[in-house]
Amino acid sequence: MGKPSLLKEVLKWFIGRPVTIQYPYEETPIENRFRGRHFADLNKCTGCSLCAIECPADAITMEKLPEEVSVPKNPRRIYPVISYGKCVYCYRCVTVCPFDAYITTNDYKITGPARLYSRDYSLQSVGGGAQ
Amino acid sequence: MAVDKVIEIPVSLEVPIGPQHPALHEPVMLKVYAEGEEVVKVEVNTGYNHRGIEKLVEKNSFYRNIFIVSRVCGICNIVHSNAYVRAVEQVMGIEPPGRAKYLRVLAMELERIHSHMIINAIMAEVLGYDTLFMYIMRDREKVMKAKEILTGNRVLGDYLMVGGVRRDLSEVDRERIKDVLIKLEPEVRKYIRVFEEDETIGKRLRGVGVVKPKDVTLHGLVGPTARGSGVNIDARREGYDAYGEVPFNIIVRSDMDSWSRMMVRWHETIESINMCKYVLENLPSDGPAVPDETKLPRKFPVGEAFTRVEAPRGELTYYVMSDGRQNPWRVKIRTPSFNNIINSGFSYIGYTIADVPVILTSYDPCISCMERAIVTDLRRGEKKYVRFKDLNRGLK
Repeated sequence: MGKPSLLKEVLKWFIGRPVTIQYPYEETPIENRFRGRHFADLNKCTGCSLCAIECPADAITMEKLPEEVSVPKNPRRIYPVISYGKCVYCYRCVTVCPFDAYITTNDYKITGPARLYSRDYSLQSVGGGAQ
Repeated sequence: MAVDKVIEIPVSLEVPIGPQHPALHEPVMLKVYAEGEEVVKVEVNTGYNHRGIEKLVEKNSFYRNIFIVSRVCGICNIVHSNAYVRAVEQVMGIEPPGRAKYLRVLAMELERIHSHMIINAIMAEVLGYDTLFMYIMRDREKVMKAKEILTGNRVLGDYLMVGGVRRDLSEVDRERIKDVLIKLEPEVRKYIRVFEEDETIGKRLRGVGVVKPKDVTLHGLVGPTARGSGVNIDARREGYDAYGEVPFNIIVRSDMDSWSRMMVRWHETIESINMCKYVLENLPSDGPAVPDETKLPRKFPVGEAFTRVEAPRGELTYYVMSDGRQNPWRVKIRTPSFNNIINSGFSYIGYTIADVPVILTSYDPCISCMERAIVTDLRRGEKKYVRFKDLNRGLK
């Protein structure tokens, strides 16, 4: 590579903005269809457990619904709880669900001790759970 | 007492390189025996990253396994799932529509572009050319974005399913991916020029790690390693998925050294960019690319299938055997790195210790792909490597 083209490159980046993103202060650009945090919408979930059976990472467990929560159609009163630490975000549960009960987001900020499970997100969909 | 005999012992030094070493990005151990600076023998020791995937696959259902085999290797995850999915499709007798086949080719070629770019970046870093490493990684990020648009994730695509792909490509996204590729091509051509004309790169790579065509066939090396030595092998020639319809050239160079292997990768990157553009322009719409996952068959016939795919590192083969139950009876994976790394000990001999990381990087090692079983007899304290043939018969 000759020197003039190198000089051009140096000048270009001397004036231009840096490529790196100052992450906590600046948002990383992310696609709308990025496979991020997802949880069951209890208005649609029937507790059929198909997602728990089909999950390749065994990240979904079926739990009993709390007494005070009322759901439209869930005779066994169980709902899926995703462990985000185990989940590999393949969205198999989303596509395999016969009732399209999963709500998908492109939220990728899932580290940290709070909200490691989808329990609260799911319960909020029917007006329950911790806010 | 007078001295009447002098015993001269040739000193050979054993230098363990790895499994944790700044020059290696993979957990492999090269036991290098050197006389002075010259390497006289190299033992390749693996086993630091064994996860037992083949056994895990036998314990899970056919559909769950698509995601498990994707995790064999991080960088070439789509080719792994492609080989497995095509094997399952052969067992079940399903043929995906043309649009799905073209989208599979697009995903695999995007993967090849970023895999070749990362190994060239790592090569620049191993040579001590960190600026070039940063530049290539910056441009690789564009391809990762294209992959994110297509599959929904930067690295682990999880894009394939039996009978098609898991998400379709809209017109807007098609234009965006095409735009990324158009912007990427001049950058890649610039790096080719750097690799061709830079003095430091030439001095470190040319004439280092020479692998003759005879050695390639003798040791069963595959992929860009073989093509860099003038051996024209490429599994894409078989025409699986849409490779029979997408025009492409097989890059073969006859310099036989590390530089030649890196240049094969760069020119393949250009070739892959052209293939992606062709796919995006000629995407057929002959049927739904995304089948309904809830309606896939739940019963699996008895049968077996053997598929091969050209992964970025070479030929990857899958053997899937079904005995009619929900889980496969056996899935055998043979990855390209298994051939390229374990069999390549001969090629380090005669070069200096400083050349060892360069030669290893020029083979594009992927250690998590190639871990195999070591059996330790606890009573006798013996260790031995076991071939699959013997493992099938049972351990003694």
